[in-house]
Amino acid sequence: MNRILCTLALCAVPFISACKKSGEAGGDDQLTIGFLPKSKGNQYFVTCEKGARAAAKDLGAELLFDGPTNSDPAKQNEIVENWISLGVDVIAAACENKDGLSTALRKAQDAGIKVITYDADAQPDARSFFVNQATEKGIGDALLDNAASLIGNEGEFAIITANLTAANQNAWIDAIKARQAEKYPDLKLVDIKPCDDLKDKAQQETTNLLSAHPNLKAVISVCSPGVPGAAEAVKQAGKTGEVKVVGLGLPSENKAYVKEGVTQAVILWKVEDLGYLTIQAAAALAKGELKPGATEFDAGKLGTMKIEGDNILLGTPFAFTKENIDQFDF
Amino acid sequence: MTKSIKSLLARHEVVLLGVIVVEVILFQMLGRRFLDGSNVSNIFRHSVEIGLLALAMTPVILTGGIDLSVGSMMGLCAVSFGMLVNDASMSPLAAGVVAVGIGTLGGGLNALLIARLKLPPLIVTLGTFSLFRGLAEALTKGSESYSGFPASFLALGNSDLAGIPAQMWIFLLVALGIWLLVHRTTLGRSFRAIGYSPEGSRYAGIPVERNLSLAYILAGAISGLAAVILVSRLGEARANAGIGYELLAITAVVLGGTSIFGGSGTVAGTLLGYLAIAILNNGLSRITAYQLFDQPIASIARELSGVLTGVLLLLALAVTPIAKNLASRRSRRQISQDHPLKPETP
Repeated sequence: MNRILCTLALCAVPFISACKKSGEAGGDDQLTIGFLPKSKGNQYFVTCEKGARAAAKDLGAELLFDGPTNSDPAKQNEIVENWISLGVDVIAAACENKDGLSTALRKAQDAGIKVITYDADAQPDARSFFVNQATEKGIGDALLDNAASLIGNEGEFAIITANLTAANQNAWIDAIKARQAEKYPDLKLVDIKPCDDLKDKAQQETTNLLSAHPNLKAVISVCSPGVPGAAEAVKQAGKTGEVKVVGLGLPSENKAYVKEGVTQAVILWKVEDLGYLTIQAAAALAKGELKPGATEFDAGKLGTMKIEGDNILLGTPFAFTKENIDQFDF
Repeated sequence: MTKSIKSLLARHEVVLLGVIVVEVILFQMLGRRFLDGSNVSNIFRHSVEIGLLALAMTPVILTGGIDLSVGSMMGLCAVSFGMLVNDASMSPLAAGVVAVGIGTLGGGLNALLIARLKLPPLIVTLGTFSLFRGLAEALTKGSESYSGFPASFLALGNSDLAGIPAQMWIFLLVALGIWLLVHRTTLGRSFRAIGYSPEGSRYAGIPVERNLSLAYILAGAISGLAAVILVSRLGEARANAGIGYELLAITAVVLGGTSIFGGSGTVAGTLLGYLAIAILNNGLSRITAYQLFDQPIASIARELSGVLTGVLLLLALAVTPIAKNLASRRSRRQISQDHPLKPETP
């Protein structure tokens, strides 16, 4: 028995030595912010957290970061309810289940805690502001502007979408069409193909597009699996550089194609800035510096950000290209 | 150590109670506002569904069986409930009764396959584990969810009644019911008899098939009830409700000292096992001031509670054989001292 206890005690040593009291927590006047991602292991949210930590450091605030590690729909609610009883000052949440999490966020508001959402919104009555990473128009404009400048503002282009009924994707496609009508009379949209959010299907559809439209000059994918899918098709057809590929997606998923020169631009917001802006806004809200009805606010190193209604805008999306893609790891 | 203290310590429930006391003291010392009233409510509010499943699982495991389908059953009952309230505009009460009914039917399917066709419970409920979750996903096409329930229904999962979370009253009633069933009725005693020896039970005149069926049907019904409570807490019914809960429930039962081979175990043990897990899950997320591997413990609470639950379970399982081993070694030594093999003088 003694031998067993000794072994157990020895096993515990590395844990205890790795355990140390952190200096930052404490003071009653210190602002405590709960920062809730959709899921914790996701590289996208890990990058968000990096920005959030930087903002919390700038503000001298305590940041609690926690999120679900599986798809249990109850987990986000439980984390928020734990934060309520912990007495945090403000909660910033990205909602996995919009309606379900709104129940818990309303409870937080009832307990006098300020609530802000980012990345994925809650019901409007369950939060004060939504930090909007990109408007529909912002995404549509960025995609078409990048594609247009690559092909000299004229010629045929096609769109790969997730499926023809997806609300997000359709809003982006409408924005692309509106931009084309307004700014690029010499561009022509020849086809829109669904890929069911599958890379293989996107590759197959792009191959079909390439043979059906020999004059095609650019493919724009508005769903993330479509970008590498389209790139693979263009590469296999031997049309690298001849047909440009632009799309919405994570830089990490497209790094290889971008470096080979198959994909010219990947459009996304700067995820780290999204985390930074969210925490700046959350802190300003908790301190009473940011009030409903404001039209702009000062977000530290990001400068002055615009507010439309109750949406705080991160600004125009960012184009990841051959030149800069190595600096990003999400 | 006197003999009475020793036998008290040997009782599983007492050891478990000690673990719970240690947990509470540690979390109160290291955590932030752990024993705060609203957090104590959280501990129970967030775990009541797993507690219900553990109670439902106890009779099943006592018979030497297992029910892996209870978590998936929650998903199926949750979406059925959501559909009935939203699409068929049923009252939450009526829909709740139907959801429990669906749980009962699902339990009946398990019972039919296990008790009547004599198929192994592990395989049968592994099948219904996929079947029920699959049905729930098919009903919602994988992505739809139901919300917009009346506030009076959400109050069940989110408000207090006489100082404790409203759903705890249901839990306490079920716990009392299961305790009475297992420890105070012949039906309950027959569960242990069946687990100990199904053949022997049959020769003793116990209606094995019927009683075995009842254990699985009851588990299904309680899963349905747990689903309704979960929906009232979240305000949303989704196909992935209750995902993974069956394993936590089984962990609570086994941690509580019920033999996985059946035949022995108590409801009190299950309740203590459930409490130990619930407190561990909550308590770790309160430790914001200490770091482990450069992360505040609160930020890795879920991963850590998984590790610690595992360690706790393995220790609990190992304690009995180790104690037995030591006892037999000591008595052997005692014997060799009392009766030395070689005489001291030639």
